[in-house]
Amino acid sequence: MYNQFFGNYLFSKGYVTKEQLIPALIRQDNELVRVSTLALYSGYMSPSEIENITTLQLKNEKKFSELAMENGFLTQDQILELLDIDCPSFLKLGQILIDDGIFTHEQFSNILADYRSQNEFLELELNEDNKDDIQCLIDNFSMLSDTAFSPFSKAYLELLYNNFIRFIGDDFTALPPDLCTEFPTECCVKQAIHGNYEINTYVSMEESVALAFAERYTGESYLDYDEYVKASIEDFINLHNGLFIVNASNDHSNELTIGTLESINNSLITFDKEAYHFPVYYPFGIVHFVIEIVKIVEPTIIL
Amino acid sequence: MNINDCKILICDDSILARKQIKDIIVTLGTPTILEASDGQSAIDLYKAEKPNLVFLDIVMPKKDGNIAIEEIMAFDKDAIIIIVSSVGTQSQLKCALEAGATDFIQKPFSKEHIIEALHKYIG
Repeated sequence: MYNQFFGNYLFSKGYVTKEQLIPALIRQDNELVRVSTLALYSGYMSPSEIENITTLQLKNEKKFSELAMENGFLTQDQILELLDIDCPSFLKLGQILIDDGIFTHEQFSNILADYRSQNEFLELELNEDNKDDIQCLIDNFSMLSDTAFSPFSKAYLELLYNNFIRFIGDDFTALPPDLCTEFPTECCVKQAIHGNYEINTYVSMEESVALAFAERYTGESYLDYDEYVKASIEDFINLHNGLFIVNASNDHSNELTIGTLESINNSLITFDKEAYHFPVYYPFGIVHFVIEIVKIVEPTIIL
Repeated sequence: MNINDCKILICDDSILARKQIKDIIVTLGTPTILEASDGQSAIDLYKAEKPNLVFLDIVMPKKDGNIAIEEIMAFDKDAIIIIVSSVGTQSQLKCALEAGATDFIQKPFSKEHIIEALHKYIG
């Protein structure tokens, strides 16, 4: 998982201009990533080895993979592994920029290494016991419902618990989820995600819990449930959903959008679709996260 | 340009995000800071005040950030608009850049991100 879309990183760091980036973004969805770029991404070949094979390719009509094997840079097993790799979509953008001559393989390799070190965050940065419990909880979620569970649900939940760790603290216990048909809200914010993975998300907590939650989120103190406390809850769910759709775009070219935030305080929500309640227990109280599954369209994987 | 002589417009529907950006800006000086909480207010304020720099969110009520960029750019093609948003996806980045955004900062932003942008576009 990453903190930002690769194209955004390239642009904000000045590696590409707007004029170079926009056409590449338009072409990205139809691009295929070459074995050479996959070998670079996986660390099987260095940029100079790739340049050597690319130069050899100019002199004969053999494929890159054949020449890489003949010259001892790749084995057949490694090539099969590369062809089977779950290649993140942002590599397609890199491939276009290499093909357009904007980056050499060496430049791309260095930029990619910097991007990964600055923006990649480890999944579930928890202590081992807690990590196992949460992983078990996410895995068991698949048994609650076949329709609700998908790779996107798994990614969504992993990111959710990660964001609790990052923005609120790791001293929580993730309680098992339960299927719910209605939910009584307290201080509650709703945000929808639209697209192939369409869900309504809710975060709700008691007022006293909201104060402690906001204090941890902002690092400031609050005496009353004011607009800043409310905004902290809104900001948390907005940031979490935003990062989720950025990763869906970056890794899977799945373009989702999020809706505006809606306050639903002290109401009883009745769900039309399957909804799951994920309680997160902190020392200062329970934060309730609810996901209503509206529509899931599994991504088509093109090999 | 001296930051103290600048006008900076911060447009975000989150009062918290506006405060966080404002708190960072004032560590560098005392520019005039304008605030808007939706896209339409940002357009209106831009036309009235013509700020030197705009920090703009994308997902907002009453016209989103991309519509606000288009309308501001139609009014002033030299506007410097920096998107500060949590939704930096492939399609949103493309839309924002096509509409005329100058830069794109992904939330959660750090103090360094905002200061770097201020140095880059104001000096």
